Amino acid sequence: MTALGVAGGLLQAVVIVGGAPLLLGLMRQVRARLDGRVGPGVLQPWRDLRKQLRKESITPRGTSEIFRVAPVLMVAMTVVVAVVVPFVTVDSPLPAVADLFVVVALLAHGTVITALAGLDTGTAFGGMGASREVTILALVEPTALVAIFALSVPVGSTGLPAIVGAGVADPDRMISPAGLLAAVALTLVVVAETGRLPVDNPATHLELTMVHEAMVLEYAGPRLALIELGAALRLAVYLGLVATLFVPWAIATSAGVGALALGVVAFAVKVGVLGAALAAAEVFLAKLRLFRVPELLAGSFLLALLAVTTAFVLG
Amino acid sequence: MTVHGIEMLNIAAGALLLTAVLVLWRREITMIVRIFALQGVALAALVAVLAWDEGSAELAVVAAGLLVLRGVVLPWLLRRALTGAAPGQRESRPALNVAASLLAAAALTLLALAVSAPLVALSPAPATRAIPIAIAVVLIGFLVLVTRRHAVSQLVGFLLMDNGITAAGFLSSAGIGLLVEVGVALDLLLVVLVLQVLTGRMRETFGDTDLDELRELHD
Amino acid sequence: MGGGSWSASVPWLLPLSGVEFAVDGLGGLFMAVGGAVAVAAGVYGIGYARHGLDGRLVQAVAPLFVLAVLLVPAAGDVGTLLLLWELMALTSLLLVLAEHGRRAEVATAGRWYAVMTHLGFAAILTGLLVLASSAGDGSFAALRAEELPPGVAGLGFVLCLVGFGSKAGVLPLHAWLPRAHPEAPSHVSALMSAAMVNLGVYGIVRVGLDLLAGGPRWWWLAVLVLGAGSAVYGILQAAVRTDLKRLLGYSTTENMGLVLVGVGASGLYAAGGDRVLAALALTAALLHVFTHAAFKTLLFLAAGSVVQATGTRDLDALGGLRTAMPATTVAFGLGALAASALPPGPAFVSEWLLLQSLVHGPGTAPGLDVLASIVLPLAVAAVALTAGLAVATFVKAFGVGFLARPRTAEAAAARECPPTMLAGMGVAAAACVAPALAPTLVLPAVTGVAAGVLGAGPAVRGALTTELIGVQGAMSPLLLVAALAVAVAAVVGALRLLAARRPRQARLWDCGGGPMSPRMEYTATSFAEPLQRVFDDVLDPVQDVDVTHHRESRYLVSAVAYRRSVPDRIETGLYAPVLAATAAWGRAGRRLATGSVHRYLGYGFGTLCVLLVLLAVTW
Repeated sequence: MTALGVAGGLLQAVVIVGGAPLLLGLMRQVRARLDGRVGPGVLQPWRDLRKQLRKESITPRGTSEIFRVAPVLMVAMTVVVAVVVPFVTVDSPLPAVADLFVVVALLAHGTVITALAGLDTGTAFGGMGASREVTILALVEPTALVAIFALSVPVGSTGLPAIVGAGVADPDRMISPAGLLAAVALTLVVVAETGRLPVDNPATHLELTMVHEAMVLEYAGPRLALIELGAALRLAVYLGLVATLFVPWAIATSAGVGALALGVVAFAVKVGVLGAALAAAEVFLAKLRLFRVPELLAGSFLLALLAVTTAFVLG
Repeated sequence: MTVHGIEMLNIAAGALLLTAVLVLWRREITMIVRIFALQGVALAALVAVLAWDEGSAELAVVAAGLLVLRGVVLPWLLRRALTGAAPGQRESRPALNVAASLLAAAALTLLALAVSAPLVALSPAPATRAIPIAIAVVLIGFLVLVTRRHAVSQLVGFLLMDNGITAAGFLSSAGIGLLVEVGVALDLLLVVLVLQVLTGRMRETFGDTDLDELRELHD
Repeated sequence: MGGGSWSASVPWLLPLSGVEFAVDGLGGLFMAVGGAVAVAAGVYGIGYARHGLDGRLVQAVAPLFVLAVLLVPAAGDVGTLLLLWELMALTSLLLVLAEHGRRAEVATAGRWYAVMTHLGFAAILTGLLVLASSAGDGSFAALRAEELPPGVAGLGFVLCLVGFGSKAGVLPLHAWLPRAHPEAPSHVSALMSAAMVNLGVYGIVRVGLDLLAGGPRWWWLAVLVLGAGSAVYGILQAAVRTDLKRLLGYSTTENMGLVLVGVGASGLYAAGGDRVLAALALTAALLHVFTHAAFKTLLFLAAGSVVQATGTRDLDALGGLRTAMPATTVAFGLGALAASALPPGPAFVSEWLLLQSLVHGPGTAPGLDVLASIVLPLAVAAVALTAGLAVATFVKAFGVGFLARPRTAEAAAARECPPTMLAGMGVAAAACVAPALAPTLVLPAVTGVAAGVLGAGPAVRGALTTELIGVQGAMSPLLLVAALAVAVAAVVGALRLLAARRPRQARLWDCGGGPMSPRMEYTATSFAEPLQRVFDDVLDPVQDVDVTHHRESRYLVSAVAYRRSVPDRIETGLYAPVLAATAAWGRAGRRLATGSVHRYLGYGFGTLCVLLVLLAVTW
């Protein structure tokens, strides 16, 4: 636990919790402009959260503690990830938790808890959403882990500080066939795990197409605020991971104020640009049928495996 | 070979493999033809990198020829074979579903890696190290040829195989002579022209170019 | 447990070879695991028996079975091992058959178990005898000292792999496991699934890594491939099962598969000369044996309580147990968290170690060729798919079985089980939680055992943080839990500050269609349907939709019946032809045996004459 790591962790917690709704707002705004609409502005998600927090919390009859604690646990797990991953500095406040496998599994655990809450309501919607979400989760896992394999073999470690440190030392390393393939594969993982198009449509409330939204249909008030904040945090953390792993520029290596400020700004810019690009791409995409999603995931798995083999072949 | 040369070569080889995978992934025939054109460009780039590295004018000519033939002429011919048919033609039900064929492609790539390991061990130069990728492209092309039903996508599968073979030839230190390459190119052109005429006839007769319909001729 | 060893010899107990015991670290580890499972299952069994659920048979045989399970790892020579192995097989068979009066399926399960376990025994017998006869002596010490010719060693290892693998429920010899384990009384299921199957792994490690001291690469490649296949196939079958105990049985196949992935990787590294990674992979495998024993005991005991309270094992008929059976729900939830290998759970630690051992392979192992570099990423993919499907399986088992609302009257009428049964679950739960929070309680012992088997240094160190030795990597479950606790406190605090108004109860959103009935809930079948469709080509389910029309008009539908079954494909594809061939052979034999005494005497006379003629010709 170094001063650099602790400073980075605290900064990240503030930046990500404060900025994740803005990221969501930015992405919606980009979409709106590209659709030819004016858009509600970047601050709208924060306004939504404020409104939801002021409402009363509604507990549906027949639900248990799982339903009540799920939003808290989901947000807590994502916040832990936001703190430990070296986004702003090359060091982590808890290096023994900042392992790629741990981080990916922790984010998956957040999904699992929400799925259990969906099942706990005992409605057809909750069950349907949970079933679909968990199916996608199960199929994403091989891609994610093989991509991690591809990233960690050259470094000889799955620890994020080591991988990011190697990236900072040699930023061109990622511009290789293996790096590019792994980047594409991980981006598809991010799209599937955060429920973006073409896997899931975050804006839909149509019975047949909902995945994530079906699962959280019973939430209202402050708990809904937590669920939405959690979804925004997940998006920010995943995009941050992609940005930090593949574009490791301007990450602070010393605890000076200037370096840290540069690190924060660079992180915000990278995630913002990635988010805007994702939103712009979504304008041209339609949601895939649920049973076409495995094709997409098989493709991303193939890309991850190719990343491993090309790393091995081309050295 | 310089560091940048190796990087360029690797990226070209990676693009070769990626386009082969995309042919397997996509369903729209027009998209498949477009991806095939991209692969032609990648192949030309690969040969151009080799030419630049060896300072060989002959290879540079071959690279230009490849760009014209595989990046422009063949895709154009394929697109012509498509025009006149109903727009938005798709590979609607391949013999092996798309997810399974992508996994099969993964297995084929690993197989290519395994079989070409001794070949690479013979002379571990940067160029020879990319041979497994060329062999993987050949195998994926064969997979497309076997599992796709649409005549044009089968043709693309055949051309993928040829792209792979060409790449393997240039990557192995022996190289192929200019004359051989020109001969192969002419043969290829002839094959595509003949097949184009055939598909045109097929469509006139059956209104479709789905090869499974042809089985009825036999029955 | 890591260092010392102890041996004893009782020559008079068995003619010819005598009985010899020798306990070293490896045997001690498996004895300790078996003993811990036996304690939990025994405490649970008190409550189970008091409710008249056990016959006298179980009371009498169970201790003998436990004794056999405990003593198998202590056997010091081939004869003793085989004797105890057979004792274990017979007693477990009697236990499986305990409830044969109540359900008809028990007899079928018993038959499958009897045949397969004895085929496995025959394979082990032959394999060990091949090795012992080549070495000239059956004691393990002599086998260890002797350098066997490669052909003999290979034959012996393959036979042992088949025999021990069938006990561990490895593909394609797993068919008995998901049949037999569910049919036994639940604490016996726990003993079988958490303690007995481990001995299959014990056998493979003992023979392959210890007695034969490694071996060529193909042995371990075979072990790894078998393990990865079993893991994926087992969990895929579990994901589409609705019978709670059968699901757990398939999950045992999965976990033994994961253990064998570790053992195979270990052997592969050892064959390549990398002792550091070999020790790491073996440590991961042995730790997974321990964690699997803990959570599988807990899950089977909780499932037993559910069966006792509701009388059904069908997930589609359960639901809503959390209100009536809170303690059992917590126990099953804990077990499910462990089984899905999510952090912070005990199995996450072992799977993390396993993944670390696979990830470091291509970078550091010097003697690995292209083949291994292809196998390792695929092994990572298999472990990942297994982990993902395990998550889906246990979300289904816990979410559908215990959450939501009761789907049948039996589930609604469930009552919490008696305190002794809860105490049994408590023991298992403690064994689950302890290594999840502080692996340091278990890891040093396991590390020492793995290092001892391979003759290498320990692979893992550290109390608070689990740190790898020789390669880069560190992970701390306790810090993770602490960080999570702090984060939860922060979120709850922020929520208290920001959200002022009191919560209110309301009814569920029912689309305005009136109160929802339990029939509208998602069931286990519907939950697994997307996965079943994705893996349609692998699972090959049988679906059947019957539409009954009204008599007046065929355009009006009066009823729709939907049936689905997912037969185990290996069972139908591999065993059915073998069984059919055996049956045909039997029918052919029946023609020879007509029941006429003259004919039988004639056979004897004929054989005698043929033998005499042979003798005369060859003399």
